[in-house]
Amino acid sequence: MILAPFVAALFVIALPPQIGVLPVRAMAMVGALVALAANCYILAGFDRDGAELQFVDTQEWATQVGLEWNVGVDGIAIWLVLLTTVLFTLAIIATILRPPSREPQFLMLLLMGETALLGLFTANNLVLFYVFWEAMLIPFAFMIGIWGNEDRREALMRFVVYTMVGSLVMLVAVVGTAFVARDVTGQFTYEIQALRAVDFTETQSTLLFAGFALAFAIKLPLWPFHGWLPRAYGAAPLLVTALLAAVMSKAAVYGLLRVGVPVFPEGADNFTIPLLTLAVIGIVYGSVVAWRQDSMRMLIGYSSLAHLGFIVLGIMAFDVIGGQGAVLQMVNHGIVVAASFAIVAVISRAANREMIDSVSGLSAVAPRMAYVFLLVAMAALAIPGSNAFVGEFFILTGTFRWHVWAASLATIGIVYAAIYMLRLYQDSFMGPLRATGRATDAELTVKDAIYMAPLVLAMLFIAFYPAALVGATEASIKRAVAPAQIAADRPPEDIAEPVVPNPPPAVQPLPGDEPDLTAEDAGAPR
Amino acid sequence: MNVLAWIVLGLPFVAFLILLAPPKEPPRKLTRALAVAPIGIGFLLSVTIFGVYLSRPGDERLEVSSLWEWIDIGGLPVDLAIQVDDLTVYMMLVITGIGSMILLFATDYMEPDRDYRRFFAEMNFFVFSMLLLVMAGNFFFLIVGWGLVGLASYLLIGYYYDRPSAVAASKKAFVINVIGDVGMVLAAFLLVRELGTLDYGEVFARADSELGQGTGTSEAIAFLLLVGVAAKSAQFPLHTWLPDAMEGPTPVSALIHAATMVTAGVYLIVRCQVLYQNAPIASDTIAVIGAITLFFAATIAFMQEDIKRVLAWSTVSQIGYMIMGAGLGLYGAAMFHLLMHAFFKALLFLSAGAVIHALAGEQSLNRMGGLRRHLGWPTLGFLVGAFALAGIAPFSGFFSKDEILEQAIELGAFGISLAVVGTIGSVMTAFYAFRAYFRAFEGPDREGGYGHLHRTNWRMVIPIAVLTVGAAFAGWVQVPSGWHLIDDWLEPAFLAAPDVKATVTSEVIISLSTFVFGLAAIGLAWWMFGRGSEWRLRHANVLPGVRRVVEDQYMLNEVYDEVFVKSGKDLGDAMARDVEPGGVFRSVKTTVGVFLAAAAGLRWMQSGLVRSYVFVFIVGAAVIAAVVILSGVI
Repeated sequence: MILAPFVAALFVIALPPQIGVLPVRAMAMVGALVALAANCYILAGFDRDGAELQFVDTQEWATQVGLEWNVGVDGIAIWLVLLTTVLFTLAIIATILRPPSREPQFLMLLLMGETALLGLFTANNLVLFYVFWEAMLIPFAFMIGIWGNEDRREALMRFVVYTMVGSLVMLVAVVGTAFVARDVTGQFTYEIQALRAVDFTETQSTLLFAGFALAFAIKLPLWPFHGWLPRAYGAAPLLVTALLAAVMSKAAVYGLLRVGVPVFPEGADNFTIPLLTLAVIGIVYGSVVAWRQDSMRMLIGYSSLAHLGFIVLGIMAFDVIGGQGAVLQMVNHGIVVAASFAIVAVISRAANREMIDSVSGLSAVAPRMAYVFLLVAMAALAIPGSNAFVGEFFILTGTFRWHVWAASLATIGIVYAAIYMLRLYQDSFMGPLRATGRATDAELTVKDAIYMAPLVLAMLFIAFYPAALVGATEASIKRAVAPAQIAADRPPEDIAEPVVPNPPPAVQPLPGDEPDLTAEDAGAPR
Repeated sequence: MNVLAWIVLGLPFVAFLILLAPPKEPPRKLTRALAVAPIGIGFLLSVTIFGVYLSRPGDERLEVSSLWEWIDIGGLPVDLAIQVDDLTVYMMLVITGIGSMILLFATDYMEPDRDYRRFFAEMNFFVFSMLLLVMAGNFFFLIVGWGLVGLASYLLIGYYYDRPSAVAASKKAFVINVIGDVGMVLAAFLLVRELGTLDYGEVFARADSELGQGTGTSEAIAFLLLVGVAAKSAQFPLHTWLPDAMEGPTPVSALIHAATMVTAGVYLIVRCQVLYQNAPIASDTIAVIGAITLFFAATIAFMQEDIKRVLAWSTVSQIGYMIMGAGLGLYGAAMFHLLMHAFFKALLFLSAGAVIHALAGEQSLNRMGGLRRHLGWPTLGFLVGAFALAGIAPFSGFFSKDEILEQAIELGAFGISLAVVGTIGSVMTAFYAFRAYFRAFEGPDREGGYGHLHRTNWRMVIPIAVLTVGAAFAGWVQVPSGWHLIDDWLEPAFLAAPDVKATVTSEVIISLSTFVFGLAAIGLAWWMFGRGSEWRLRHANVLPGVRRVVEDQYMLNEVYDEVFVKSGKDLGDAMARDVEPGGVFRSVKTTVGVFLAAAAGLRWMQSGLVRSYVFVFIVGAAVIAAVVILSGVI
């Protein structure tokens, strides 16, 4: 059995000694790096053509009620895990380089956040998924609440209330799923892989999917459930905003792809049109609103709303190309949005409260920053040839095959992306030189370069060789979307792979009768 | 050949990276060598490929080569691949040949600039992107090249980034080009949906049987590609960015906004001729768009006071001829005109650039006059260029423009009517070309004289001289009823070109009318502008209404501004300022309020204490977990 050591390591590190800042920094770095190293190890041994979960680790917990520690990665999860470990490592480096007040606590919360997200992306048990889903809220809430600006109370309240509403609905859905599944198959389990095979009736599937979808829609956020976003993004420390947009927003789309669509294909099919509509509205709305923002941070924040709409399109198209594009775009968006916020952080040293109109013409004094910003801006507006273009292109290719209207309307977002990103770039870096602070402060320093270089290199790497990521996602995506394709009555030649519904229920006892439930994942490699 | 082709493509990219790498401005000599050499070597290698291909039979002049499998997604493989065939080689020769001349010119023209290496880095990036556009072996990398030339163009239009007009112009160009890109990607989506591939070879082989002749799908693909064509090649109604693009340095205008990038649309139609032969409505639309553009752009060119803007509108107009030809299926003639235009328009821009350089940045025709007596090579270059642009025998434009018109006559009433528009446009071209020439180079010196003129050195003269020879004599490669070297060369790449041959009658009609009326127009221009500003100033107030409309480019900019930009801004403002805090928020807030009221006992939560929220959350989570476990047991 292969352990997933990074998760355990993080639990240890999450409670660092509170003496002196140096050991804390060292511990934080070690924690992040161990996770990253473990991740690389998994990546090296990962079977790129496998659809199953790999590196599965199962520990008994409360098996009689179907609870167990069950984690593993497939071709989708592994990239999100990688994104999480890399971005959190960079976040910790950035924190150490420019320490906030009460640095040890901040680092601790960052590590807790990382743990929660890693757990979420690897969970193969609905309860575990839910626990991590809730757990990730805690550190982020604290970081907003303690280190946020003067609007943080209002922001935090919205953030918590919105998310809690979604969570409660999801909780009902989680429990409901297990019980309904028991009625159908006679087997009580929360294991996602096993639940996939359960043949729910259409009503069950629809209702349960609706529960999950609402939670995901709030977390994403999907228009019009984005009420918490402007306040939270606006009030949080920039680093936290970056992580919210880059990593936490992926939790919801990941859940949609991992739980929503494969477990409840009929329900997902019934919700296709509404979700696609909301995604398209979100793309257009987010882009237009982003264009008219006064603050750099909010411009990027709203653009994130639009970009996540693209990812939802790719998932809800139930198309292998679209799904693979969506996974790639999750990674791309994480990298690009993190880099964008990093740039805002640098520029705001010369600006007044991150206001776009407080600086202009910075190219003259910050030429290196101008190049980096240009590169990131081009990736953010997905110019052909950039990494983000690859994702968007294939998402829309897949969407276009089945929903021409959605893909066509979504292209409005591409045009607006050019408009708002150029507004940000040109207003700050072109035109006559003007700055509220010292204009030269906007130049890239070595410190900034340390955490920005990996992001930029990752963008370039994906632009030149996207097959490295995309190649490993095909089998998993096929498995994830095939049931939904059948539910959507696609022609047989377009079904990604055959689906076997309802595994023989006879061998699985009812809860309480037989404590050993691990037999059901005998197919997974150990 | 593939290795050579990859080197041609790779060299400018490597040069771009090297030029960007050093933290400080490298020595200028080094920059010069790094800037010009890659393109020059690229030209020599392209000539080598051309030579080798020439010795091969037509059906062996096509090689596809892939560097690596770039992506394989859901059964749709896309390779980082190039396709080298006759058409590609033809375009490579144009890009590297004209490009190396313009870059050599620029090494001197840009001498006073403090950002010397940034300019050449971006120029090399452009050449790389343009080569990628024409060498790509599938639609995906065609779009990548298409997008990247747009980026390069954006960077170079906004090269003087502290000038607000340049910044605005670059943004306009970029956004319009992105609109074009959207058309292209939608066409690609449609191809994937219908054919499941993006490879040129497969798409063109299967288009006839699987897309069908004149079906909705074929027409849709052709129309979507047309959006890209119109945006990139500055055709009506997406042409408004090109005149503003003259904010870039003059070598940029010569290379990108005259000789190469803006002709990409013509290349695209010729490359995708199989698709266009299946889409008669789209093809006819293209021809009409070309005709509209060539005519109206010529009228606007009448009124321009800026020498570069005269040339810009003439570019829009000349590309209109190519697009019209390509829309009519006259692919050989369109490609012929593309090459001739590259020669004479690059020449005109470089000559104008030499003038602007000599006058330390002065671009207005009002502040010129009599320059013939001060500047030798630029005068000769501009004169030859103007003759070629006007299509006067025996200069290059005569052969190529007339070929389009002559062959158009053979295509029935539709072709004849377009040919008539083209002929009228040709006469107008002769007039505005020589209006610019007479006002800048003939007549008395401007008031106050010139004082000190910056001298043009050899790095400026050689390109002008070479292009002068090209603009003067290159037309002889294709002579009516004689030989057709370009058609013969491109023949294997023409997968679906209808065989249109001009008859002697039409040749005579067109040649005579463009020649005679063209000379008459030149004479008129001389009578009006050749003897100083007196006549012009006396008639400056004739037909003020018409003049104003034409000067304002038929108000299109204002209309776009009003309809798209302003209303878009209003919508965005309304959403950002009113709906966002009010509408959506309030509706959601109401929901939350109801929820909170229901949990009336939790009112104290509004104390705002963050910790208490989190505390409540943790306790809540614990309770919930307990409920879960219990419910599981029960």
